[in-house]
Amino acid sequence: MHLLLLGVSHKTAPVDLRERLDFSSRDLGAAVEALATRPSTAESVVLSTCNRSEIYVASDDPFRAREDMTAFLSEYHSLEPGSFAPHLFAHSDEAAVRHLFRVAAGLDSLVVGEPQILGQVKDAFQTALDRRCTGPILGKLFRWSFAVGKRVRTETALGEGAVSISFAAVALARKIFGRLDGRRVLVIGAGEISTLTAEHLRTNSVGEIQITSRTMASAETLAAAVAGVAIPWEQAMGTLGHADIVVTATGSQRPILTRAHVEAATARRRTDPLFVIDIAVPRDVDPAVGDLEHVFLYNIDDLQSVVQENLSRRAAEIQHAEAIVSEEIVKFASWQRSRGVVPTVVALRQRFDAIRRSELQRLDGKFAGLPPEARAKADEVTRLIVEKLLLDPTEQLKALPDEETQVAYTEALNRLFRLRPTESSTDVTDPSPSIGPGDRHRS
Amino acid sequence: MNLIPLVLYAAAGVAYAIHFVRRQPAVGRTATTLLLLAALSHTFVIGMQTMEVWHAPIAGVSRAVSSFVWLLGLSYLYLELTTEERAMGVFILPILIGLQMIPVLYPGVANPAPVLDSPWFWVHVASLLFAYASFALAAMLGLTYMLQFKEIKKKHLGYFYTRLPSLHVLDAMNSRAVIIGWLFLTIGVIVGVVWTAQARASSPGDVNIQAMSLDDPKIFIAVLSWLVYSFEVFARRTLGWTGRKSAWLSALGFAIVLLNFLPVSYFVTTSHTFQ
Repeated sequence: MHLLLLGVSHKTAPVDLRERLDFSSRDLGAAVEALATRPSTAESVVLSTCNRSEIYVASDDPFRAREDMTAFLSEYHSLEPGSFAPHLFAHSDEAAVRHLFRVAAGLDSLVVGEPQILGQVKDAFQTALDRRCTGPILGKLFRWSFAVGKRVRTETALGEGAVSISFAAVALARKIFGRLDGRRVLVIGAGEISTLTAEHLRTNSVGEIQITSRTMASAETLAAAVAGVAIPWEQAMGTLGHADIVVTATGSQRPILTRAHVEAATARRRTDPLFVIDIAVPRDVDPAVGDLEHVFLYNIDDLQSVVQENLSRRAAEIQHAEAIVSEEIVKFASWQRSRGVVPTVVALRQRFDAIRRSELQRLDGKFAGLPPEARAKADEVTRLIVEKLLLDPTEQLKALPDEETQVAYTEALNRLFRLRPTESSTDVTDPSPSIGPGDRHRS
Repeated sequence: MNLIPLVLYAAAGVAYAIHFVRRQPAVGRTATTLLLLAALSHTFVIGMQTMEVWHAPIAGVSRAVSSFVWLLGLSYLYLELTTEERAMGVFILPILIGLQMIPVLYPGVANPAPVLDSPWFWVHVASLLFAYASFALAAMLGLTYMLQFKEIKKKHLGYFYTRLPSLHVLDAMNSRAVIIGWLFLTIGVIVGVVWTAQARASSPGDVNIQAMSLDDPKIFIAVLSWLVYSFEVFARRTLGWTGRKSAWLSALGFAIVLLNFLPVSYFVTTSHTFQ
């Protein structure tokens, strides 16, 4: 069984092509089902976000599967293969594993370390699972990738530090005020970044958010979006004294908040800190406001440099994260190798069990006089003996270090016990006897 | 016997330092566990010493220091377990380790003078030790507040910014530590005054007791620290002196306390040197 990956990402394809190859806006479940019905694709998962469309397949016939995957992309999106082929990347086996692990870890993201991707990978797998399109190989691979993503997040600082202006502002507020519950916010000017910041503040459960703008209508729109209160422009200075966090983002050419304003408005606050976020260009707040003892003033450049610093700190963690990915690839490869012996293990079990059954059957006449409990007990005991006899050989076999030794051992076992293992890979927990090449895993 | 707690404090100190640098949750839990073990073994040591002499082992500087370390360790653990903030450990542990070396290096066995054999004395010393432990915590919190304040104010969001708790949390913890310390300091001083008055009457010939007055450096400095902390408590409530001002006062107060606890006890005072 081989692992195959075909896809486009922000690294290989421009946005308009990514849009045309996007699955997420349409029914992802239908897409993965359409892919899975192709004869060469034993197991399929489709991962689609705004930055990537990737299809993962496990197949016994990699050449056919690769053709099928390209054909699927072309047919599903009604695109000529020539129009997207130059932008495709294709990986197989270990390279495909590495790619998925890096994606789940956030290493392949546009903003390295961003947290959403892991959830998106989980959703993609869940969809395939719900539609019964995945199987033991992709199941193991994807679950493994979740663990890699989690490990990278807990063991490295790859996802640490805000990397957008609005997140940086909220992170700062939390370092000043601790929990933001009940903190009062005043937003002056309803622009894009102030909207984002207000939204983040709202999700951090701040208290009242007051919004003012020169045009009352835009204040009201923003107020509705963040469950805030719109107040007239003229009243803004009056409410300044009650605010803990002030966000300014007007188009004013001159500062609208001077030191005198803030001093007067906050005279009664004593030393309670006031956090002023000035994201306007040109600046809305006189820099002298920042000289006040209890005022923390950050303008857009300050926040930008915080973001820059965090980005470079994340970059410094990349090596550490890549090391974790490599480590996990080695572990995954050894799991995959252990699957090579599965047919032999299954055959061995079947052989032993067949002997057990036939012996029990042979003795059936002698057991006839026994009560049913005793017969059940005999069945149970013989089964346990077989299990115990096979436990160590099974574990030893799966732990063999390389493929060559594996082949030698399985051949020896086949000869010693007259086994004829079926070629199809089967889960070791499923020792059902008749899995021919035609039966494909869809469970 | 004080060596085992010292070794465990040192191990916890190393773990807290590693945790501060690398911020791995598992290392943090190890640090807390080591500190818990240190506090437990220290409790055992102090319990044994109590059994040995049949009173709390707080007479004599060496044993008083050991008890102080024990109380500070426990207070810090309480603070850590209630706030789930581990970053302060790296500042507190060096104090614990440094001070715990005193009883290890100078294990002086003090048999308290007969005049000290009064319940007042034990209340007096125990309250003051606990007050000092709280003040030590408050001072550390104040110091870290100033570090954090400086980083945010100067827009240098660096090493400490990511590791230290928020200004609000540091300030709230500081306030709590100062109020608790101030209460025990007040109790300790009042009990000291009452007990001195009693002892004066019962042992008129004791030089120590006769030297108990504001002229004595130890008593003078104790009263001075009481004034500083009283002002801090008062100013927080009525003048709104929170944050940086409060942090400074905590550091100043503890500098005075430390002065009293170590050099003054050894070299200067005449009143508190019971042989």
